[in-house]
Amino acid sequence: MAREPRRARTAGIIPGGGPLHELSLATEIYRTCRATIDARGPGRLDSARVAIGELAAVEPELLVYAWEAVVSGGRDTAARLEVEWHPARQTCANCGELKERAPGNWLRICPACGGPVRIAGGDELDVIDLSYTPDEEGTAK
Amino acid sequence: MTHLEVRQRILADNEAAAAALRARFAPARTLVVNLISSPGSGKTTLLEATVRAFGGRLRLGAIEGDIATDRDANRLRALGIPAHQILTGGSCHLDARQVIRALEEHDLGPLDVLFIENVGNLVCPTSYDLGEDFKVALLSVTEGEDKPFKYPAIFARASVTVVTKADLLPYVSFKLDEVRRQVGALRPGGTLLVTSATTGEGVAVWCALLEQHLAEKRGGGS
Repeated sequence: MAREPRRARTAGIIPGGGPLHELSLATEIYRTCRATIDARGPGRLDSARVAIGELAAVEPELLVYAWEAVVSGGRDTAARLEVEWHPARQTCANCGELKERAPGNWLRICPACGGPVRIAGGDELDVIDLSYTPDEEGTAK
Repeated sequence: MTHLEVRQRILADNEAAAAALRARFAPARTLVVNLISSPGSGKTTLLEATVRAFGGRLRLGAIEGDIATDRDANRLRALGIPAHQILTGGSCHLDARQVIRALEEHDLGPLDVLFIENVGNLVCPTSYDLGEDFKVALLSVTEGEDKPFKYPAIFARASVTVVTKADLLPYVSFKLDEVRRQVGALRPGGTLLVTSATTGEGVAVWCALLEQHLAEKRGGGS
């Protein structure tokens, strides 16, 4: 019940090409999944897994809503999207990676030695893998 | 159920389109600059000041991205440079395919520098490569010095950060040193410029930076 208004609202903005960039990304993810399956033969997408980095400027929850809007009503309507979150790594030249940093919380100096902190990674924006049911398997059930 | 490894960039199509744009700009040695900021930071105003400062010495052109209206392109055309307006009709960012279509619709002619002014937004345009040589993030002093850490993605990806509206510094509590520290942490080795289109402060430095990048592109052979 709670999900319906959300879905309707998101679905209404699809024709414009996507005010949310999450919607464009969801469309690209779906296109990539479909192309991967189509290359193997007919089948239904069950789930897809994506890697999203902290610096990719993507809100995972919005990406999932957008995904639901994209697959809604089509042959893959029940397909799930799993988001794997990848924080950016902050490293100190002396102390190595700073593990205790909360996502979105940026350090200017290393809390241990006061040295400068550098940022690496966190720009992931990838389709990792997918699960699908080939058509003959689906109809044999 | 069958499991398949995909291992593909989500924006692979956009990245291919951006590569096509780079291949298109390479022979002409056109420097392409992607300007990103929140709405009202002064992207178009900085471009107006840039056009005036060069005074016809370089062939400048612009692609303007907006949700609605062609105000920005008109402002630049009024100064005598070719400008094309992309109306995104609601979309929060430009993508490389839109830029390709814009250039098909409107040949801006041979250019030394092409500015692509993105839709006003510090978040969504960040991930979309437009075939640019570099990204520029603008931050006006009225927005506050906490923005680089609040919007780390763009300030990490932009090799140049331009602080705008510096003439207002006496009237706002904007800590320039704090912005320097945050940008320095997110983008080590990046450039930070302080400008005011009203007083002209820093505009010459900005123009010199563009000329330096253009000279590097021309001398670099690619």
